[in-house]
Amino acid sequence: MAVITIDGHPLEVEPNLVIMQASDRAGIEIPRFCYHPDLRPEGSCRMCLVRVKGFARLTPACATPVADGMVVSTAHHDEEVAQATRGVLEFLLVNHPLDCPICDQSGECSLQDYYMHSDYGLHRSDVEPEEKVRKRKGINLGPIYMDSERCVMCSRCVRFSNEVSGAGELQFVSRGNHVEIMAFEDRALQDPYAGNLADLCPVGALTSRDFRFKRRVWFLDHADSICPGCSTGCNVRIDHAAGHIERLVPRRNPAVNHSWMCDEGRFSYKRPESLPRLTTPRLRIHGALRRASWDEAMAVVQRELASRPPRGASAVVASPMASNESLWVLGQLARALSSSPHLEYRCLADPSPDIREDALLRRRDKHLNSTGAGWLGLGTAAGLEALALAADRHELARAVILHGAPRVGPNEPIRRELLSRIVRGTPFVVVMSDVAEDWGDAAHVVLPVAAWAEEEGTYTNGAGTVQHGACALNPPGEARAALAVLTELWAALGGPRYGGPADVFQRGLMQCAAFEGLDYGTLASRAATAYPPEGRMPYGQEGFAGR
Amino acid sequence: MAKKDSRVVDVTAQADALGAGVGGMTAGFAVTLRNMVRSLPGRNSVTIQYPEQRKPYSRRFRGVHVLTLRPDGRLKCVACYLCATACPAECISIEAAESPDPAVEKVARRYEIDLARCIFCGFCVDACPEEALAMTREYDLTTRGRLTELRYGIEELTQRPQIADYGAGYRPHMQYPLVESYLPTNLPPPAAASSPEAPAP
Repeated sequence: MAVITIDGHPLEVEPNLVIMQASDRAGIEIPRFCYHPDLRPEGSCRMCLVRVKGFARLTPACATPVADGMVVSTAHHDEEVAQATRGVLEFLLVNHPLDCPICDQSGECSLQDYYMHSDYGLHRSDVEPEEKVRKRKGINLGPIYMDSERCVMCSRCVRFSNEVSGAGELQFVSRGNHVEIMAFEDRALQDPYAGNLADLCPVGALTSRDFRFKRRVWFLDHADSICPGCSTGCNVRIDHAAGHIERLVPRRNPAVNHSWMCDEGRFSYKRPESLPRLTTPRLRIHGALRRASWDEAMAVVQRELASRPPRGASAVVASPMASNESLWVLGQLARALSSSPHLEYRCLADPSPDIREDALLRRRDKHLNSTGAGWLGLGTAAGLEALALAADRHELARAVILHGAPRVGPNEPIRRELLSRIVRGTPFVVVMSDVAEDWGDAAHVVLPVAAWAEEEGTYTNGAGTVQHGACALNPPGEARAALAVLTELWAALGGPRYGGPADVFQRGLMQCAAFEGLDYGTLASRAATAYPPEGRMPYGQEGFAGR
Repeated sequence: MAKKDSRVVDVTAQADALGAGVGGMTAGFAVTLRNMVRSLPGRNSVTIQYPEQRKPYSRRFRGVHVLTLRPDGRLKCVACYLCATACPAECISIEAAESPDPAVEKVARRYEIDLARCIFCGFCVDACPEEALAMTREYDLTTRGRLTELRYGIEELTQRPQIADYGAGYRPHMQYPLVESYLPTNLPPPAAASSPEAPAP
C-alpha cells in the first residue's frame, strides 16, 4: 500500500492506481474529459492536471501512478493548477459552438459543468464567433447523432470502439484545430453497443438519436433498475417523465456490466408501449370474458382455489420476467394449492436459436430472472411442453399463470402456443399478465398486473447476482403489482400477510438457501451507488501496470 | 421600542356643533354631493368608461406573450425549453422537432402557453436566449371557458394584431422601441387593425 496526500488528505491506496483513481476513492473531484474508469488511460485532454511535489511541471492525474509519499494538490486548492485548467478549458471553448440551448447534452455536459465551476471555471469567453473553425454538423451515424464542432477530442468513443466493443468504427482524422472524429464514409454504426457512445461522450458531440429532442434532461425523474432485456441484468437508470420512460442509461457496476449496456436492452423500454396492455380485471360470465371489479374477480379466484377439485392436479406457470419476491410467493401459493403442484416457468424450445449473444453482455436467455425462478424451484426438466401435454390429456384441474411479456427477442410463438394449450385444456385458469395476448382469452379470470419498471423487486441474473430494481411508473388503469395480488391470494388461502417486497424478502425469501445472508435494504442501497468502484479495476495488472 | 400610539381624532366637538338630527345628516350629504360633482365625467374623474376608454400602462407591462419572428417569417424560437424551465406556473409546453432547414437544428413543432395558468411574471422572457418571446400590454383576455380557450399555440402567439392597439410590453432590450421583428410580418396595416372603439394608447 502507498500513502499519498491529496489536498492535505492522507490516503492509503494500492500502488497500481493512478492519482485520478485515488482521488475518486477519496471523493476529491478532479476534472476530466478523456479519463473513464472502464477505458484505458489516454492523457490527451489535459483537464486533470495536478501538481505533484517535486515534479518540475504539472502532471495529468489520469496517467500518473501513485507512489509512496506523493504530495498532490488539485485545482481546488492550488491557483496555478486552477489557472492551467482554465487555460485548457479556454482552448476547448475557442471553437466550441456554444449552442447549449439546442444541445441535448446540456444539463449533463462536463464542459458546461467545468465552465461554471467555482474553483477553476472560466466564466467568460473572449473569442468572437467569426474566428471559429467550422466543422461538420448533423451527421447521422445510425443510433448516434454526431456534431463535430462540439467535440473536445477526448477519444473516449474511439477507445470504446476499439477496446470494449471491438467494432473499431471511429477514428480521428486531420490535425491540430481541424481534427475530427469520423466513421468511414459517415456510414451508420453497426456496433450493437453503439448507444454507449452517447453516454460516454462528455460533451454533446455524440448524442442519442432515439432520445434526440425528446426531453431536456433536467425534466427527467430517475429510478435505478435492472435491464429487462436478458439474463445479464445490466444495471440501468430509468429516466422517465410524465409517466413515460424516455430512455435507459447504464449505471456503473464493475461486477456486472461496467459502464455499458447493449442497444437491444437500451431500446427494450419501447416494446411494452407497442403491446396492448391489460387495464381491468376480466371475469368469465356466461361463457364470455367481461369487465369486472377487482373484488369480484378476487372473490371468484379465492373461491375456486380454496375448493378441492375431485380429480386432476394444480399447475402453476411462473414468469421468468417476474421478481424473486413474486416468484417465491407464487411457489408458496402453489404448495398451498396442492402437495405436489406442477410448477413450470420455461419452455425447452425457448429461447429460439437465432437470438444473438456475445462474450461482452448479450445473453441467449432474453429473460430477466430465469435464474431466480430456477433457484426457487419453479421448474422441472420437463418444461412447459410436459405441462401442455398434461393439459391436452385433461389431467389438470386448475392453473395459475403469471405471465410477463419479454422485452427483447422474438415474439415467442412456441411459448404462446404451449400456454394456449394449457389454458384450453384446464377447467379453471387464472391468468395474471401485463399484456393482453390471445391465448389469455380462453381463461376464466384475467388479472392485469404491473410490468417491469412498474413494480419494485429483486432479480437474479444469469451469474447468480441478486440485484434490486426500483419502481419508476404506475401500472396502467386498474392494474396492480403482481406481488400484491399474489400475497393477497396466498393470505386468503391461509398464508401469512406480507407488507411489500422488502417484507417478503426479509421474512420469506431469505429462508431459501440461495438468498440466505442477503439483505433487502443493502441490495436497494447498493443499486443507488455507483461509486466507489469495486471489483475489477481497468488499470489492474493487464492495464496500466502491464504497459 | 414601544409602539407609537395611533392618533385619536375626537369628533365630539364637531358633532355637538352640528347638533343632533337634520344638521349632521345634511353635512354628510353635502360631502357626498361635493364628491359626486367633482367626479363627473370630463373633470378630475378617476372613473373611466372601460372598455371605450383605457388607461395607459407602463412600457414594462407584462401582458399577453408574443412569439417573435425572423425576417423570413419563421419563429425565432429554437425549442430550448428554458422558458418552460423558468416558468413557476408550469404553463408552457413545447414539443421540439428536427428542422427541415439544414442551417437550423431544432424548431418548436408545438408551443403552448396556458394563459389561464400564467401568472405573467415575465421569467420566460428573461430566460429566452433567442429573444423569441416578448410580452405586450394586452391584458383583457375574456373567454367563455378556462380549460382550453386560453391555451394559446403558435398561431395565436404569432398572429397578434392587438399589439398595434396595446403596444409592446416587457421584452428584451427595453431601451429600443418596438422593433419590426417583434411584430408578425403579415400584420394588417394599422388603419385596418384599429377598430372604432380602439382605445387611446
